[in-house]
Amino acid sequence: MADTDSLINALAGGVAPVRRLRPPMVRALAWIVLGIAVIVALTLWRGWRADIDLQVRDPAFWVQVLGAALTGMCATLAVFEISLPDRSRLWAALPVPALALWATGFAYGCLGHWIAIPAGAPIVLESTRCLTTIILATIPLGLALWLMLRRTRTLRPADSAWLGALAVAGFADTAHLLLHVVQASLLVLAINVIPVTLIVVAGGLGGGRRLKADFGR
Amino acid sequence: MTPTGPEASAKPAAVTREDWSVLMARGQDGDERSYRALLQSIAPYVRSLARRAGLSPEDCEDAVQDILMTIHTIRHTYDPARPFGPWLVGVSRNRLADRLRRRARIWSREVELTIEHETFVAVETNSFEKAEQARRLRSAVADLPAGQREAVELLKLKEMSLKEAAAVTGQSEVALKVAVHRAVKRLRTMLARDEG
Repeated sequence: MADTDSLINALAGGVAPVRRLRPPMVRALAWIVLGIAVIVALTLWRGWRADIDLQVRDPAFWVQVLGAALTGMCATLAVFEISLPDRSRLWAALPVPALALWATGFAYGCLGHWIAIPAGAPIVLESTRCLTTIILATIPLGLALWLMLRRTRTLRPADSAWLGALAVAGFADTAHLLLHVVQASLLVLAINVIPVTLIVVAGGLGGGRRLKADFGR
Repeated sequence: MTPTGPEASAKPAAVTREDWSVLMARGQDGDERSYRALLQSIAPYVRSLARRAGLSPEDCEDAVQDILMTIHTIRHTYDPARPFGPWLVGVSRNRLADRLRRRARIWSREVELTIEHETFVAVETNSFEKAEQARRLRSAVADLPAGQREAVELLKLKEMSLKEAAAVTGQSEVALKVAVHRAVKRLRTMLARDEG
């Protein structure tokens, strides 16, 4: 008890003023604006996908784009909410309906509506460009999100990591769908979610030290 | 203003006129008095949460200190527009869950020694020499100057990290390192003198 009293005195003595975090909605909005800016920049640089005229008339395309974008936005809001200690864990379920829509979109695309690649299109070149778009969208968005979450020093690092990966994947796939004809939504998800899953599992085995060191308490 | 914390009855009378939210908001602005009042006021409530989690009295006090340090570290994440109670409960439950998980992990692979385990066949384990050495060491530690004694107790006996010990004592990590170094040197001299 005496130790606790001296700890309180130590913590309170000369306590420094702190800059409060902005509300999660505001921070999520800031990141979503960044995500949109990255997609616009990539579109201006790379141009629309070759078959965009055909795709805009296809409902399956819109389902997939809407699913990816909504998953990204919902996961963004969820990660900023869940990273705070007084917010419900149920926020983690927010992206689930949008994720289902996204999954429906790419399953439909894979099974019944294989994308019509224009005759003579250079597939290998397109695949390389597609991969670089995914990486160019993933790196700045992932880095920005990591920096923003780091300041929260969340007590729920694993949930935050998964939702953050989903947010980045949603935006990266939105960019990819608008820019490239190659079907790669599962690849985008894999690129973002598999490394995070490995880190979370390794973190679980190692007492969560890595994740906590990255952006947790 | 009436208290709005989860267990208003646990607060000392001195702070019942002020809301925990208000005290925390002032603490975030660097108001030492309000921040101290807040920590003193929430400590009994945090202790009751730790007891309810099934911790032993010693573990309980460690958990309270851990939660208070966490609150201090992440105090910038509290939004004064929202009630303080759920934030406090959220922090406490997370830290208590971490502690219980850690304890469960340790218990799954370690067996606690009981008094029966302490007597072995080997002669040296039953000698009084070790007990005597421990007594001399305790007495030598007690004879250290206050600063050095505190540093040894926190860093060596309680096995705190430099960062945690610095938070408790208010001293810099460098100062603590120097104090421990001097203390160990002094203990060596004192024990060698006793033997000689």
